[in-house]
Amino acid sequence: MSPLRAYGPILLLGAALASMPFFAASNTLLNAMVLALVIALAAQGWNILGGYGGQFSFGHAAFFGMGAYGTALLQTRFGVNAYAAFAAAVALGSAAGLAIGYLSFRSGLRGSYFALVTLAFAEVFRILANAWPFTGGAAGVLIKLDVRAETFQFASRAVYFWIALGLVVAVMLINRSVERSRFGAWLVAIRENEDAAKALGVDTFSVKLKAITLSAAITAISGAFYAQYFLFLDANIAFGPWISVEALLAPIIGGLGTVFGPVIGALGLHFVAEITRAVAGRVPGIDLALYGTLLVVMVAFARDGIIGLLTKARARLFGSRA
Amino acid sequence: MTIDTTLSRRSVLKAGVAAAGVVAMPAYLRAQPAPVKIGILQPVTGALAFDGQQGLIGAEMAIKAINAAGGIKSLGGAKLEMAFGDVRSTPEGGTSEVERLAGENVSAIVGGFASPICLAATQAASRYDLPYIVDVGVSDQIVNRGLKNTFRFAPGFGIVTAQALENLVKINDAAGKPAKTVVLVHEDGLFGSGLAKLLQAELPKRGFEVLDTLSHPTPARDMSNIALQIRAKNPDLVIPSSYYGEFVLLARTMQQQRIKPKGIYAILNGAASNYRFVKEFPEAAENVMDCNHWYDPRNATALAIKKELDAQGKFFTYNVALNYSGVLLLADAIERAASPDRAKIIAALETSTFDKHIMPYGPTKFVNGQNTGAAPVNTQVQKGDIKVIYPDAFADAKAIYPVPA
Repeated sequence: MSPLRAYGPILLLGAALASMPFFAASNTLLNAMVLALVIALAAQGWNILGGYGGQFSFGHAAFFGMGAYGTALLQTRFGVNAYAAFAAAVALGSAAGLAIGYLSFRSGLRGSYFALVTLAFAEVFRILANAWPFTGGAAGVLIKLDVRAETFQFASRAVYFWIALGLVVAVMLINRSVERSRFGAWLVAIRENEDAAKALGVDTFSVKLKAITLSAAITAISGAFYAQYFLFLDANIAFGPWISVEALLAPIIGGLGTVFGPVIGALGLHFVAEITRAVAGRVPGIDLALYGTLLVVMVAFARDGIIGLLTKARARLFGSRA
Repeated sequence: MTIDTTLSRRSVLKAGVAAAGVVAMPAYLRAQPAPVKIGILQPVTGALAFDGQQGLIGAEMAIKAINAAGGIKSLGGAKLEMAFGDVRSTPEGGTSEVERLAGENVSAIVGGFASPICLAATQAASRYDLPYIVDVGVSDQIVNRGLKNTFRFAPGFGIVTAQALENLVKINDAAGKPAKTVVLVHEDGLFGSGLAKLLQAELPKRGFEVLDTLSHPTPARDMSNIALQIRAKNPDLVIPSSYYGEFVLLARTMQQQRIKPKGIYAILNGAASNYRFVKEFPEAAENVMDCNHWYDPRNATALAIKKELDAQGKFFTYNVALNYSGVLLLADAIERAASPDRAKIIAALETSTFDKHIMPYGPTKFVNGQNTGAAPVNTQVQKGDIKVIYPDAFADAKAIYPVPA
């Protein structure tokens, strides 16, 4: 695949989305988009480890929370500049990924055991953050409202939208380059058959460790951005199971182990939810009910997600083998 | 150059026609005044659905009452129109619903319920200088951030806890100081752990000995371990701060195991001031005291609302009373602002002295967004009903304390 064919569609999608605020400037829509992009980022992180590497984590909240608490606490407790705190929080998240990865892969945990261990780590972090006075305990952390570009706070929702979009596009490019690299091939080999990959000389431990570190860093970006956008978080928001679930739902719906899957999954799910809410009006919870139904249908009938459906449709239309 | 100051007959006529037009305009408006849109935010789905539905009942009743009484008179009898937002029990839900309501051009918002939701929602509303009346959210961070648009009608954590301690000492002193030892039971979330820390520091200064502090998660499925620890310590007084489900579980477990302290004195407890608890578990609820938000039991409107809700098989919880009062407070501000304009409503709220609410508060006075006239009261479950026992100015019953064994 030529670089143009590999990276072109990503940049095209990014440019198309970036022009959105000029056509639809409603803050309601922009706010919904920012939220969907935050989820997309977390999902992209999950997709590196879970989608390409086949290591299903149920606890990406651990990394999301590290990013969120990192940036919030560095700013409120130590007065660090918001951008520096953002970068440091991402480093903190990836360090957490490295540590959790080292501990669990070292002990040879795979499949559901790995999933359970990650879930446990996220829960431990949640309980610690909820109890420790340094993290504000159950009261959480409130980043001071101070709308200036220097403090990474903007009056316009469109600016947040562009930053979130920029991050998502950058991560898509990273994803694509991983896909095209030797490291990506090793990762897929581990997903398909870890023992065979090992037998062929792939250093599975080091590859998995790199994957979880990168994965954690990306999810931490999502968490740090969430904190910067909402300026408030507590243990249940940062380390709660909701984000672990969102992070794995989006790629499963969108398409596992693909560049566009997590993004399309996250945007698609959120739009379905928003549209139902708009259409169904005041019936409480109807959007959640439809969301659930859609999920069941997708998982039952379209295992490869939306991307899988599209590929199949293209194959049928053009008669080529996709 | 000379200025002609004389009035010709023609110009007088012109002015007269113009004046007639100005006078006639409001008459036309009076016939069909545009409704004033107000946003009501409540979590009617998710973990806080029960509370959200209760809050919504209060807001809807208030809007109905105001419209039935002729709407906003300074706007020619304009009706209030509700724009409802379900915040789905999450802060993100709060933000996105505020965005939507702001887009629908509401003049103000009332509600939020939980502190994290209120923190996110008030901040989102502040971007539009959209007046926001917090109904419950007790975290003091909500009003301490200097947001000009944010007003909390009910007392916050600081006011409630100070008052709760003071009232406890007074009730205990009045009964001849029967209680000397205390066990604290609290949920490990925002309000429970904060409260426990405060009580641990403050109770010894007031002559109480804290024997133990027991925490439990929310939700908790079983409270027998906590009950057993209480039995082992045998305190005079148990002070629980938990949400509805956990406290009900604790009270029932204590009842089953016949653990009978001289008093159960809850603070901001989700259950002890809730008719649902009293109705469903009358024996476990009997004589439990609480320091919490509560309606003024001598207020005729409040009693009428209670009667109406009782007839519908619904419960008159404090959310109903607070949201009802919050909407009245807002309507009063719109009335005085004589405009659906957001900035004018904020200015009117800042100078509010509203006292037609149904809470046991004096006139409203906002200082930095907090109503300093607000205060909690002490209630006690007595013979299957919830009575106000303190302060005396609002009380409709005497405290049963110490509880007869």
